[in-house]
Amino acid sequence: MPSVTAYMILGSLLFALGLVGFLSRRNLIVVFLSTELMFQGVLVNFVAMGSLRGQLNGQIFALHLLVIAAVEAGVALGLVVYLYRRKATLDTESWSGMWG
Amino acid sequence: MSTAVTVYVTYGLFALGGLGVYLLMPRIGRSTRGAGAIFGMAALAGLLGLCTQWLAVGGVDVLFYVSAIVALVASVKMITHTMPVYSALYFVLVVLAVTPLLLLQEAEFLAVALVIVYAGAILVTYVFVIMLSQQTPPPTCDRRAREPFVAVLAGFLTMSMVASQIVRWTGSTKTVESLAASATVEGGADNTTAIGTLLVSDYLAAFELAGVLLLIAMIGAIAVSRKRVPKHPVVEAAEPPGMIGRSVPPY
Repeated sequence: MPSVTAYMILGSLLFALGLVGFLSRRNLIVVFLSTELMFQGVLVNFVAMGSLRGQLNGQIFALHLLVIAAVEAGVALGLVVYLYRRKATLDTESWSGMWG
Repeated sequence: MSTAVTVYVTYGLFALGGLGVYLLMPRIGRSTRGAGAIFGMAALAGLLGLCTQWLAVGGVDVLFYVSAIVALVASVKMITHTMPVYSALYFVLVVLAVTPLLLLQEAEFLAVALVIVYAGAILVTYVFVIMLSQQTPPPTCDRRAREPFVAVLAGFLTMSMVASQIVRWTGSTKTVESLAASATVEGGADNTTAIGTLLVSDYLAAFELAGVLLLIAMIGAIAVSRKRVPKHPVVEAAEPPGMIGRSVPPY
């Protein structure tokens, strides 16, 4: 069985890739998908840390994280649909009117 | 391999992986995806080779390697693909690749909940919204990444710091303990039964709060989607990407 180190590095790597996608993409939907990828990384880390101690706390926390991810997806996609109806574009830079 | 050498090798592998992801980002001009794929694969191979020293007695676990490779490759393709529908579908692949990782740690309920809730509900909602906001021709916002160098630097610097500490402090052969054999799990030997018992006994407040949170989010989403959208005459004008929305009158 792989050790906890391997699971935690994998979880952190998924988190870092989600962070890279969040910072670098301009499409609103892909930005929110990268946020969900960060959630996946954290979920793997939680379950690994729970298994390290032999308790179920990590999995309970991961279940609540699943609830929060669903909540965030629902509200965020409602906002994305509203923003798309206002300007017919998903580009985040079209909402940059507060720059400069 | 001593811990200090492992830490420096980890830094080097993440620098290589960062370079690979940076070259894979969408850009205007000559495509660098070939070189990016080579660097990314080299970094991935190095990381998995590094993982072999952390395998406990019991030999090679093929399922961990396969699902780790699929998850990482699918997530890199998800963040670098130019079409958002493909990004959503690659994310479904990431979720399906994380599921065996959870099953290996004997978290069956969480694995099945992940497939049903995440891949089956949340990502289907994402695909619906992508279909609702289709733009023909394909938008320019997908063809070029915004500041890819800074993004990759930030992500992989964070990753290097976190991973070096993980490597240093979690030791080399601490295995994932078998939860079924652990004496601290109460409420039944079955994972689902144990989680159910814990949720209504120790974590009852958190369980109820999660329900309240879902209710509030549903109210919020309905409230947001019912707002009347004012009509703007600028929608049909074709403007260059940097100027989209600049001439819209304020709210």
